Amino acid sequence: MTINDNPTSPRVRAWRVGRHTVLIVLSLFAIFPIILTISTAFKTDADVTVNPFGLFSSFSFENVVVAWTDGNFGDYVLNSFLLSVPSTILVVVVSTMAGYAFARLPFPGRGIAFYLVMLGLLVPFFTYMIPLYFQLRGMGLLDTLPGVNLVLTTTGLAFGTFFMRAFFSDLPTELEQAARIDGASEWQIFWRIMVPLVSAGAGALAVFTFLQNWNNFLVPLLYVPGGEFRPLTTGLYLFLGGRSIDIGPLAAGTLITIIPVIVVFILLQKQVTQGFLSGAVKG
Amino acid sequence: MTVGIAVGASALADGPDPATKKRRRSTRIVLDTPRATRRAQTRLGLLLVAPVMILVLLFFLVPLGNAIYYAFVDFNGVNPNPEFVGLANFIELFQDPNLWPALKNNAIWIIIGTIAPLVIGLALALLMWNVGRGGVLYRVAFFLPYVLPQVAVGVVWSWIYDPVRGWLNQALDAVGLSFLRTGWLGNPDTALFAVLATAIWATSGFVFVILLAALRNVDIELVDASRLDGANTIQRLWYIILPQIMPVFLMVTTITLVGGFSVFDIIFVMTGGGPAGATDVLGTLAYSEAFQLNRISYGTTIALVMTVLAVPFAVWLNRLQRRVSLQGTGA
Repeated sequence: MTINDNPTSPRVRAWRVGRHTVLIVLSLFAIFPIILTISTAFKTDADVTVNPFGLFSSFSFENVVVAWTDGNFGDYVLNSFLLSVPSTILVVVVSTMAGYAFARLPFPGRGIAFYLVMLGLLVPFFTYMIPLYFQLRGMGLLDTLPGVNLVLTTTGLAFGTFFMRAFFSDLPTELEQAARIDGASEWQIFWRIMVPLVSAGAGALAVFTFLQNWNNFLVPLLYVPGGEFRPLTTGLYLFLGGRSIDIGPLAAGTLITIIPVIVVFILLQKQVTQGFLSGAVKG
Repeated sequence: MTVGIAVGASALADGPDPATKKRRRSTRIVLDTPRATRRAQTRLGLLLVAPVMILVLLFFLVPLGNAIYYAFVDFNGVNPNPEFVGLANFIELFQDPNLWPALKNNAIWIIIGTIAPLVIGLALALLMWNVGRGGVLYRVAFFLPYVLPQVAVGVVWSWIYDPVRGWLNQALDAVGLSFLRTGWLGNPDTALFAVLATAIWATSGFVFVILLAALRNVDIELVDASRLDGANTIQRLWYIILPQIMPVFLMVTTITLVGGFSVFDIIFVMTGGGPAGATDVLGTLAYSEAFQLNRISYGTTIALVMTVLAVPFAVWLNRLQRRVSLQGTGA
């Protein structure tokens, strides 16, 4: 813990070295499955049969090519974007609007409306996934992009609204009063003054929501059962069931599924963590 | 990623919470503002809330209402006018021989799957406290498992558990414990714990990140002072550090615990509830009844029971968290 007596004393140095050793071993353990995926994905076919999980024992792109073409992972990548990007944009826009209204505007039924939206955080998706299936079928939205996008959006709205409302609540009231005196309309106050001030929060929400949508398994599994819009997660699952012997291409497919997540996470890890922290700690 | 439920409990516990005080103030100011402004605000408020309300009504509240309706009728997915059967679905559920093993698995999952990530996450956070150089790298490495899709996690861990050439069995050979070799996911005695270990691997990073942030707010002077007073590491942890992070700790506990009630993806991908129901939980049971056996009403009933079990836990833990954090500010 906090040892700040004498920075060069042997005890302090031993503690430092020991701690870094433990941390390095533990972080290797944390990312070992990713290392295993990479190493298995880039193996030759022959090596996979003899030595399926040996680390970095051969190198070839053939598994990636097979996964991308025969395994349809190229299509799945596109579908994952088509499913996650529009719903992420919708979540951020709709949540920002609702968050502002719930934080700062009076309107009849605000209390009950807020409770109804927040109920979405308390009720697991499970509870209503089965009736939702028949409802979407009845509406002609089953197996369509708009259908699954609207469902993904709705599952993200409760958290998004809660999250954005917290940001709007923290802004000082003097701002809007000053703007009002200067003759700004209510819409201008919202759009020109308040929205720019919460853009960092909206960005964190966007990253967080994108990862959730990209990783979502159950929603596409249930509501796009046909092959046309199948994303990476359900594509990987079906690949697992259909060709469980071909470990090489399966590893390559897994790698294709997780690469965007890893890239987004490493580039934007501050925003991701902030999203979790604001959602959890601040709330 | 199940941040939602605990946050939901806190939002519902006593209404619009973090902003309540601020809101009261701003409402008062609003009442002083001219009528025309107030009308404009009401109009904008209704306009801005309309999209969220339409979506929530259509894709959440209506199906939720239908879920309750389904539980009291006999719906097989085809007939438009299912017969009303009263409590028959619930009565059948409590006599279902699959229910109790699934509930037991769920309970094991909730208990171990909550305690283990909390202990591991706290240990990692304490180890990382004031680490300085390399801090970001460790943080990324520990948190990464949590953001990966559970399907991918399930696929890779199935290789680690591979009965013949999997890493776990090879590692056991290497340290002379070959007699422990088994097909981890195929053996009914080990399957649940093997999947659970994977989930713990994935969740600990989440607990770690939240607790690390909480530790940043711990009063260092208090810790140093207690050391000068002769407190050892354990005493400092127990009497000085833990009480200060207790509200956040309870909040993470709520999230992990309630997440345990609705576990599905990882079990579905790794074992599908098998072998022979050894890893079945309420979630996989509801799924297979509804979508594999076409027993729509019965599957929905199982899912409803799960919600009824989870919600009181969320609310109770949230109350506890609130009380602790009030004590914290009062002291």
